[in-house]
Amino acid sequence: MSARGEAQRELRALHTAGRLIDAYPRIPALLARLGDEELDFAGRLLARLSPSEVLTAHPATPALRTAVTGRSTTAGLVPALTAQAARHGLLLIPYAAGNGSYVQDLADPASALYAHRPELTLCVLDPLTVWDRIRPPWQPYDVALEAERQRLLLAELAASHAAHAPAGATFVLNTVPLLRRFTHQLTGLAQRAELGAVWREFGADLLRMSDPAAGVAVLDLEPLTSAGVRADDPRLGAYADAHCTAELLAGYAREAVHLVRAQRGDAKKCLVLDLDGTLWDGILAEEGPERVRAADSLRAGAFAGFRRTVEQLASQGVLLAVCSKNDPEPVARALAAHPDWPLSTRDFVFVVADWGSKAEGVRTIAAGLGISPSAVVFADDSAFEREVVRAAVPGAAVVPLDGEPAHHTERLLADGWFDVPSVTEEDRVRAAHYREREQRARQQAAAKDYESFLRSLDISVDAGPAQDHETARIAQLSLRTNRFNLTGARLTVAQIRHLDRDPDALVLAVRAADRFGDDGVVGAVFGRRDGAGLHLENMVVSCRVLGRGIEDAVLAGLLHAAREAGLPAVHALWRPTAANEAQRAFCASHGFVAAGGDDRGGIRYRHALTRVPPVPPHVRLRLSLVPVQEVEECIPSSI
Amino acid sequence: MHTVVDLISLANEHLGTDLEPGDAARDLAEVPCWDSVHLLRLVSLLESELGRPVPVAEVLEARSLDEIWTAAVGA
Repeated sequence: MSARGEAQRELRALHTAGRLIDAYPRIPALLARLGDEELDFAGRLLARLSPSEVLTAHPATPALRTAVTGRSTTAGLVPALTAQAARHGLLLIPYAAGNGSYVQDLADPASALYAHRPELTLCVLDPLTVWDRIRPPWQPYDVALEAERQRLLLAELAASHAAHAPAGATFVLNTVPLLRRFTHQLTGLAQRAELGAVWREFGADLLRMSDPAAGVAVLDLEPLTSAGVRADDPRLGAYADAHCTAELLAGYAREAVHLVRAQRGDAKKCLVLDLDGTLWDGILAEEGPERVRAADSLRAGAFAGFRRTVEQLASQGVLLAVCSKNDPEPVARALAAHPDWPLSTRDFVFVVADWGSKAEGVRTIAAGLGISPSAVVFADDSAFEREVVRAAVPGAAVVPLDGEPAHHTERLLADGWFDVPSVTEEDRVRAAHYREREQRARQQAAAKDYESFLRSLDISVDAGPAQDHETARIAQLSLRTNRFNLTGARLTVAQIRHLDRDPDALVLAVRAADRFGDDGVVGAVFGRRDGAGLHLENMVVSCRVLGRGIEDAVLAGLLHAAREAGLPAVHALWRPTAANEAQRAFCASHGFVAAGGDDRGGIRYRHALTRVPPVPPHVRLRLSLVPVQEVEECIPSSI
Repeated sequence: MHTVVDLISLANEHLGTDLEPGDAARDLAEVPCWDSVHLLRLVSLLESELGRPVPVAEVLEARSLDEIWTAAVGA
């Protein structure tokens, strides 16, 4: 039996035995193997479970409080959303509003929708949006007028959502598919073309409302309908007020959960590619580097298209790696730079070419890059290798490529694994940073000891109030940093901007550079000042720069700055997460004294500022708590 | 699809319901595992199973599985 059939059988068996809740942690791995039809079935099973019972049995399950509303019946979306959320390890806690009540749901601060406290609100615009208000005789101008009224209403509802939904919540709209049964009611070809233009302008205006940082997102449904998903069933629309097909809602649900992953900072970081049959046509070990690169088969063009997709992802910060069962030398030759071959060794930050297990290869790559194996996407055309990685690397995403390279690109992009709210400048140069990291590693290997290596780096750190242009990067660090994240708290761009306007709040950007290059913003400090002193609410540092003393320099600098400012103490908090155990003693190692706990297993610390630790001597630190012209220097020798 | 029992099997297979032959004549509102959302999906399941369109309005107005069967297959 195939992995897909096996997963389907296990899911049914769990349902029959009444064990779906007991086995809930196993559900994402089962759903990862299912196709669309089986996911529909799985969603119906899972939607019948009580979310509170799942949470009682598995308190650590990340929940997704979601509200669904719209102009027509949208209850059919809930099972699809349940399945898509579960695929990504999220437990949907849904609220489905009544039919067509979206204006009241969203405009009334006391509505049941807001009482649900949704993190995600889906306002589904079905294909009858606007058209339900058009009466004959009509012309494109009438549609343009009504579409604009609709857009203004939606803008008001988005503002209302921003005011009444929980901070950081996302309001989701979508473009409206244009149906032939409306366009072709216009018999004049010129008018019909004008209507098409009017409708695209309406869609473009909706898309321009998208501002993920401000909590508004717009899903473009055209890529779904152009891929053959029918938008409506006139019969179910007429008789049940259900104007979207199940297939459209399933596609919508898939995209909506990708959006949540992006907003939560769950984007994968690294694409690990097989070579033979994945990146090129042919078998390297049989044909040799020159022939696989120079393949001129009909299929070669399909592989070239896939390589261009991979290159495009890399240009936006996706780290590329290779995991191939081959000898290293021919792989190196095949990946060598070549004018006709866009991807080369330089583009891959890590190459594993050996005959060992690919699961081991993926783990080696993750360890080498300092990322979690669950931040990896593994793409391979071999079902066997995919299953090996699925079974042995929990959390890694596995892309099912097959023998048809013309489908590789669609398969790779099907799940939006690398989606982020907004690509930052830092993303574009990420691969270069990793190459610099390699140079440092070589330098370290050559140095006699670690301290002399650190001294040789000539590290400078500049920490100060975050500038506007740094907000997106700081949000990204907050959302994506796991290992050095003292409390696990996540902040969106909107929340950071809110802090910027609070005179008692402190958001410091930590910028670092050394002789190998400028790392840009590598960390952030979030704090608050009051009569008791400075409260260090969280500190995040990119795992890329850990181990260079940067985090120690910043904390020591903060203590010095607090003392200089005459503050009575600095308070800090460490709260356990799945990945930050190594930082449990971080504050204590800098002279903080434990001062109690909190209800989430955290440890509160206090530093009386009587004896402040020195800034590590190999770091040149400039740190300021306030945006001043003259930047305060913390010079180790003066301490 | 020869009898309403086949319809019940189809629903259980694809919708995850726990319907039994004894539910065929019951008012759907009184069948605990039944949800109106299932009915919309059942229309497309029936159509792909039968290989022909079903009279959607009659199926949606049906109050029991027997009535759905009669509207979709038995008529």
